[in-house]
Amino acid sequence: MGSPEPLLVASGISKHFGGVAALADVSLEVRGGEVHCVVGENGSGKSTLIKVISGVISPDAGAITVGDQSFTHLTPRQAISLGIEVIFQDFSVFPNLTVAENIAMATYIAEGRRTVVPQALRNIAAEALSEIGVRLDLEARAEDLSVADKQLTAICRALAQDARVIFMDEPTTALTWREVDALFHVVESLKERGVALVFVSHKIEEVLRISQRITVLRNGVVTVTGDVADFDRAAIVRAMTGRSIADSSPSPSVHEDVPPLLEVQGLCLKGYFKDISFSVRPGEILGVTGLLGSGRTEIAEALFGVTPPDQGGVSVEGKSVPLRSIRDAMAAGIGYVPGDRLTQGVFLDQSIARNIIAGSIQRLVGRLNLLRRSAADETVTSSAAELRIKMPSPEAPVSSLSGGNQQRVVLAKWLARNPHVLILNSPTVGVDVGSKHEILEMLRAKSREGMGIIVISDDVPELVAVCHRVLVVRQGRITDELVGDRLTEEVILKELAA
Amino acid sequence: MSDMAVRVVRRMSAERSLVRLAVLTLAVLIVFSLVSSTYFTVINFQSMGFQVAEVGLLSLAVMLAMFTGGIDLSIISVANVAAIVTAQLLKSTNAATAEPAQALAMTVGFILAGVLAGTACGVLNGLLITRLRITPILATLGTLQLLNGLAIIWTGGEAVYGMPTVFLNIGIASIGQIPVPVIVLFAAAVGTAVFVNRTGIGLRLRLIGANPTAARYSGLDNDRVLMITYVASAFLSSLAGIIIAARSASANADYGVSYLLLAIVIVVLGGVNPMGGYGTVTGVVLAAFVLQMVSSGFNTVGFSSFTYQIAQGAILIGVLGLNALARRYYSEGRPTLLKRRSRTEPATPQPPGREA
Amino acid sequence: MSRLSSTLRRPPLARLRGGNNEGVLVLLIAMLSVAVGLVTPSFWSLGTVLNVSTNSLTNLVFAMGVLIVIISGGIDVSFAAIGIFAGYAVIVLANKTGFGAPAAWVGFGIAAVIGLGLGMLNAAAIAGLRLPTLIVTLGTQGIIRGALLFYIGSKVIPNYPPGLDQLSTNYLVTAQGAAAQGAGVTRLSVLIIPAILICVLVSLLLRYTVVGRGIYAIGGDAESARRTGFPVVGIQVIIYALAGVLAGIAGMMHVTQVRLANPYELVGDELDVIAAVVLGGASIFGGKGSVAGTVLGVVLIALIKSSLILLGVPSSWQRAAVGLLLLIGVTAQALSAGGPRRRVDLLAESAP
Repeated sequence: MGSPEPLLVASGISKHFGGVAALADVSLEVRGGEVHCVVGENGSGKSTLIKVISGVISPDAGAITVGDQSFTHLTPRQAISLGIEVIFQDFSVFPNLTVAENIAMATYIAEGRRTVVPQALRNIAAEALSEIGVRLDLEARAEDLSVADKQLTAICRALAQDARVIFMDEPTTALTWREVDALFHVVESLKERGVALVFVSHKIEEVLRISQRITVLRNGVVTVTGDVADFDRAAIVRAMTGRSIADSSPSPSVHEDVPPLLEVQGLCLKGYFKDISFSVRPGEILGVTGLLGSGRTEIAEALFGVTPPDQGGVSVEGKSVPLRSIRDAMAAGIGYVPGDRLTQGVFLDQSIARNIIAGSIQRLVGRLNLLRRSAADETVTSSAAELRIKMPSPEAPVSSLSGGNQQRVVLAKWLARNPHVLILNSPTVGVDVGSKHEILEMLRAKSREGMGIIVISDDVPELVAVCHRVLVVRQGRITDELVGDRLTEEVILKELAA
Repeated sequence: MSDMAVRVVRRMSAERSLVRLAVLTLAVLIVFSLVSSTYFTVINFQSMGFQVAEVGLLSLAVMLAMFTGGIDLSIISVANVAAIVTAQLLKSTNAATAEPAQALAMTVGFILAGVLAGTACGVLNGLLITRLRITPILATLGTLQLLNGLAIIWTGGEAVYGMPTVFLNIGIASIGQIPVPVIVLFAAAVGTAVFVNRTGIGLRLRLIGANPTAARYSGLDNDRVLMITYVASAFLSSLAGIIIAARSASANADYGVSYLLLAIVIVVLGGVNPMGGYGTVTGVVLAAFVLQMVSSGFNTVGFSSFTYQIAQGAILIGVLGLNALARRYYSEGRPTLLKRRSRTEPATPQPPGREA
Repeated sequence: MSRLSSTLRRPPLARLRGGNNEGVLVLLIAMLSVAVGLVTPSFWSLGTVLNVSTNSLTNLVFAMGVLIVIISGGIDVSFAAIGIFAGYAVIVLANKTGFGAPAAWVGFGIAAVIGLGLGMLNAAAIAGLRLPTLIVTLGTQGIIRGALLFYIGSKVIPNYPPGLDQLSTNYLVTAQGAAAQGAGVTRLSVLIIPAILICVLVSLLLRYTVVGRGIYAIGGDAESARRTGFPVVGIQVIIYALAGVLAGIAGMMHVTQVRLANPYELVGDELDVIAAVVLGGASIFGGKGSVAGTVLGVVLIALIKSSLILLGVPSSWQRAAVGLLLLIGVTAQALSAGGPRRRVDLLAESAP
């Protein structure tokens, strides 16, 4: 049972990045001795919130209160001295230092020590370990540890520094279910010591199992917050993916008798997805949905040749295509707007023009591999116009654009290739509402021209508004196909929550 | 803002370093001309012209590799390989004593052979980097040593002489008033500029250097472009080797070792961004000339070549340091300079949408 | 409730291999020795051991400095220039002022101080201005070399100051025969003692001091290192200062052994040292490496060179051999690691 007095309160936190609100008036109350889960999908603002509280980023507005001290922003060092520790997904352990050193070093250094006395380190580490009743080989090098043990090391490191609030970002991602059990036992020990735990997660089962309170973020805003006992799975899912501003009505369905543009048969990739079969007709917009970790991204990337499947076949326009590489996929007329725009989608410091023609270079070169300037300029101008990219000039760097405009640039890059099938992964994440509408409208327009489109998304209204059919993916398999009357927000939510 | 205007403005600001370089060139010219009466003469400029081509070509080679975010440390060894192959062929066929027409044919043919040999070394680099996935610094460090070693074995550590006049003319002749090596350098520079700025491969090269992941996801075929890059680098290095051989009338496995530092100084001075994707050919060529002018100036004034070496190192660190300080100044908004950052907020604004 | 973790003990085979593949190196050295010994039985003698030891002294000490820098994630190519600067300068100084016998060690002290001063150049640019390590050390190499040749002298000095002369002929062990160049006495220089001592000290530094562990931490992730509380900038200053000191000492050793001072030596042979460190298991990306592995790497390269000589291979083959060995070693590392884990931004700014 959590103590009534909150250890940490974040109130009214807002943070903007270039016109898009990553967080808008978010509040979080953390009590000692309990687990508080922060839940949300891509683009919800979860990681920004952690970064603000742990001092990595400063918020534009709001306050962080710990005990009787209140701050408008924190530095990492301040956060640590206040007892706030964050364990990110990579755990930040030093691979070449021993477990004991990883756990104890920060404390050790803080004591002003210069020489390393292994026994002293061991003592500090052992104490932390005993607090949660875990045994680790203190002399083992961190790089030799299993993921679960690295995580335990990180937790002990936090304890050794007298952490009062421990944030863990997606803590069970890389763990087996047995290791998850072990972790949850450790969590119980921590709770008994009055430590507050904040889990950032998207795994609803675990959230229901381990936490006492829950805060759901969506698009940078808190949709619900309260005791977990008051929620069930469906309610959480609805809060995660629920309503945003109403979009226009769904598109009319596609002709039935046209031969499929893309046919996928029995695709398997060990550990990620199994028996994936579906088809996409010309002019059809197919949605693929599932919660994070369901395999939806892996399926998309397999179709794009990023991680070729172990088994199964794909054919485009009736011709079987090998998908051993991205080049194969592109040659077959498949395009992919990736989920991680900044790392995979755009060349931030390069000009908009260069970004747009990046996918069409082959087409735009003439003799001696020289770029045909006029053709390139033409491509850029027409793409920019078609997608209504708001920019000072095509020579401006992409980094100067808002998220929505950046996404238009990525889209422009792919549309310039006129692919048969365009796959988009979470296309409207981090995109302002206006751009979102226009992007979806663009997709509809393209489908009317005969392009096959696959939209991977967990934005339920978006799926309903733009897709003709929706496939639901769960744990690597297609569990349902929704079309017509069944293609509604309620049904999708129910499927996701199932 | 009109498109053309933005283009010009962006060029100007992005090539702020180009303007700085031009000013620097002028300054060096003026200072040395004032100090010595023999500096601002045709003869002196010609002499500079003969000397600048070698390192200018090597700098272009390094620049290409740096554009992709890597580096090519083997340029000197490759240059020497090309030189030695050509020299050995010329020597063993007694081209020096052949009829002029025949000597010309042999020279041309053997130069091609030498350049081919050097370029093949670039293929080796490319394979190590793209197939075996060895990081460029280690791969080219290894080939630097290996090729140097092989060259030593072949020549027995001795210099190779015996070149025909036709070949040597490359190093001493001028067309009009312009030394042949300078013409070669300009031709190569123009070719490189066209390659980097106007071709599809050049564009891919820049993009790969800017963001290899996005390049991959855009289907740019990173491996092939990297291979071409290192082959091109080796090609330019081979040209440099031929010129070195022509000018020194001999080929040696250990020539030009001090050129590596100089080439990197030139490239950095020329504004090449260390993170890949930027810089200009013009900047690099200009920087090569600036440094040559400094070297010639030192010579005229009577400074020893050792002082020149000190100057190179000082310029390199100086330019880097100034760039770093300027970047920090502009990104932090106030002069924090040497003070350690207390926040871990990155210097570039945290981009939006990077949510989990 | 006590829960047992899943990795209590590493499997025995992994332990034998060693953290940095030291086991593989030992195996390689053993195999090489056997192979060469079969061809030339005279290889198997005390003389060979002494020869190899004597030949690797200088590189060993250089390698210690390079090791520290590489573990921290940087690269140093200026060490040879620092070494020869220090060594040459001391000889010049000694000839001017004259040293007695006990002052032989004073010479080393001076060389160390010179090395320290030069190392601080690197420290200032890398730790202070946060400039990329490869380029900086390339620059300081030029400056130091130029300064040596210009300000101190560019001539070879054949006459040896008496104090140091005695040191160079001071032998620890002498053994009969064994050199391929006919009969003779092979000796083990007394300088082996400071060399081994340095290795031990560096090993202790890396293992048992906060600074040492910090070097590994910085090489792993400089940002995390700073958050853990390691004084990153201070440690970097120590790294490059120490590398300078070691280079100075190594340069002095070289000059002592060779018995003349040639300002053109050492620079150009950097690769032997870097190759030894890399072959010894240190990762170019930083965060990994050991004294033991480096020692083995130096021994391996020295052994290969000795073997080549013994086998009658002309000395001109040595460079190619080392280059090939480096490429093979690096390929093996790259293949087993599954490709570079991160881009070596060797031109990027150093740790914050």
